[in-house]
Amino acid sequence: MTEVSIDAREPEPGRWEISLGGEVDLDNADAVEQRLQDVITNRARSVVLDLGGLTYLDSAGIRTLFTLANRLELLQVGLEVVVPAGSPVRKAIRLVGLGEVVTVREG
Amino acid sequence: MVRPAESGATTDIGSHTTGDRLRRIQTLTDTELARLGVDEMLAEVLERVRDLLEVDTTAVLLLDPSATFLVATATRGLEEETRQGVRIPIGKGFAGRIAAERRPVIIDEVDHSNVMNPILREKGIRSLLGVPLLVGGDVIGVLHVGTLVPRAFDGEDAELLQLAADRIALATRARMTQAERTAAAALQRSLLPGALPSVPGLELAARYVPGGGGEIGGDWYDVFGLPSGRLCVVVGDVVGRGLPASVAMGRLRSAVRAYALLTEDPAELLRKLDVQVQHFERDVMATVLCAVVEVDQSVAWVASAGHPPPVRGTPGERGELVEVDPDPPIGLAPVRRRHVHAVDLPVGSCLVLYTDGLVERRRESLDVGLQRLTEAVIPGPAEQLCARIMGRLIGNETSADDVALLVVARPGDDGTAPLRLAEPAEPRSLRAVRQALRSYLGSVGASAEEVSDLVLAVGEACANVVEHAYGPGGGLLEVHLEMHGRRVSATVRDTGAWREARGVNRGRGTTLMHGLVDEVHVDRDATGTRVVLEKTLGRKS
Repeated sequence: MTEVSIDAREPEPGRWEISLGGEVDLDNADAVEQRLQDVITNRARSVVLDLGGLTYLDSAGIRTLFTLANRLELLQVGLEVVVPAGSPVRKAIRLVGLGEVVTVREG
Repeated sequence: MVRPAESGATTDIGSHTTGDRLRRIQTLTDTELARLGVDEMLAEVLERVRDLLEVDTTAVLLLDPSATFLVATATRGLEEETRQGVRIPIGKGFAGRIAAERRPVIIDEVDHSNVMNPILREKGIRSLLGVPLLVGGDVIGVLHVGTLVPRAFDGEDAELLQLAADRIALATRARMTQAERTAAAALQRSLLPGALPSVPGLELAARYVPGGGGEIGGDWYDVFGLPSGRLCVVVGDVVGRGLPASVAMGRLRSAVRAYALLTEDPAELLRKLDVQVQHFERDVMATVLCAVVEVDQSVAWVASAGHPPPVRGTPGERGELVEVDPDPPIGLAPVRRRHVHAVDLPVGSCLVLYTDGLVERRRESLDVGLQRLTEAVIPGPAEQLCARIMGRLIGNETSADDVALLVVARPGDDGTAPLRLAEPAEPRSLRAVRQALRSYLGSVGASAEEVSDLVLAVGEACANVVEHAYGPGGGLLEVHLEMHGRRVSATVRDTGAWREARGVNRGRGTTLMHGLVDEVHVDRDATGTRVVLEKTLGRKS
């Protein structure tokens, strides 16, 4: 199966920092979506999702991000996606316009 | 049939009441009939006509394909007619007159002067009434009834019989059209080469697509080796549509093959073909382009019989129309001498042959289509080039006419072997495909960004195959990467019946593909779907 790592930290109460590493594709997108839902508990007030460790993200993975964005918006939880310069997934994020639904920080 | 005893020699059926007449019309337009197959319907209608009109015989004769004879097709009380396959010339005798004059004919007393068919006379038929089978103003046959006792048929009888005839005509035409389509499609499939011959040093690829409404026409392509080792390449277009055009195409294709064994000069070959067609097939006309590729593959000899010019592509240049004297089409008028042209095929070049359905569009000049074609011809692998041409010129439209396309490519020596992958079309294969792509693209000097872009674009095409190409049985995901100079050409292929993508994520997949590479072409046919992605390396994006 396509390998992904998901590290979640809560540096201050209610603020989640989640780092994704590895690859997300059609094979593991559903599993990643489930993991993210499990990780982000009701206590969350804001979420920062760092995609800096990803080497591959396809449209199935991107759908997961859109789904997450919709859900967090309903729960009134702030979401920020971080895509560092030089990230291989940066172009894909731009092309599909994820920035139109959540804050994308190209840090 | 038993006649009412009191009616004697003649039956006065003009005295039926209006209600009775309605009931009789209803008998013939009864919706029950629509549920029957055509053969059962025909049998049932003939039986009802026999009862209704109180006659002894009924017969349906249909026009044969040459439109010169009527052939007995279904009968009641005259079974000899169908068994013996009676043929009546149009304009002659009773049935022939009905077809020629397209109106009902009544014969009160049958004799040698008005009835040709000996069976009708030998059977002892005394009186006849017949009406034409008409579809949209065209005669497709004749329906007639007869009595063994003299009878004066009247206008009301004729009207009632015409009602039955209309019913029969429509159902018969529908059946013939369907049967013709099926036969034409089967014929076309059997005549177009399933797999093109494998020729060392050349790459071949072809497409055939029926015209609008799935109608098969007379287009064909053919490739075969000659005794000398040369290669003969043919594309042709028989004027006309449907089964007659397909059948004529089959004969022409065989004739071309036969003459190719007698002469390897394409001009002389077309001359011989023309002589044959003018002698044996007076009503056939066709345009044909014939090319013979030399054994060393450096040149092709090309002759055209009224066919659109081929397009040649050479590395680094735009495709160009090959200057070929368009000698007259096959079957038009005797031509003493036809012209042949030498077309150089340097390494890395390609020759594109096609039929006019590819470049002709309604409300558009032919030059526009030809221009579009020359722009689409960039030398490369034959399959990819075929896909690009079909994508650019046909796209999602349906050509009104059928389309045949044949590409002969002489691959360049790029020094880089292509990458060929075939994996089960399953999600877990995607990772392995990515790894192979990264390693291949790295070895040809693609930058990190170019690798990412290509891997994702190809990955999306692969995910499409995995998600949509196959049913539960699964299938194969094929990926093929080739270098042409600095241009990467990737083909993702499946052999499934691709379903349309559903949901917004697939829309994003398409957006990604278009955003990441220079060109995307999707080419679907009966054998599956090919997605061709192309990107030139070393360009500032």
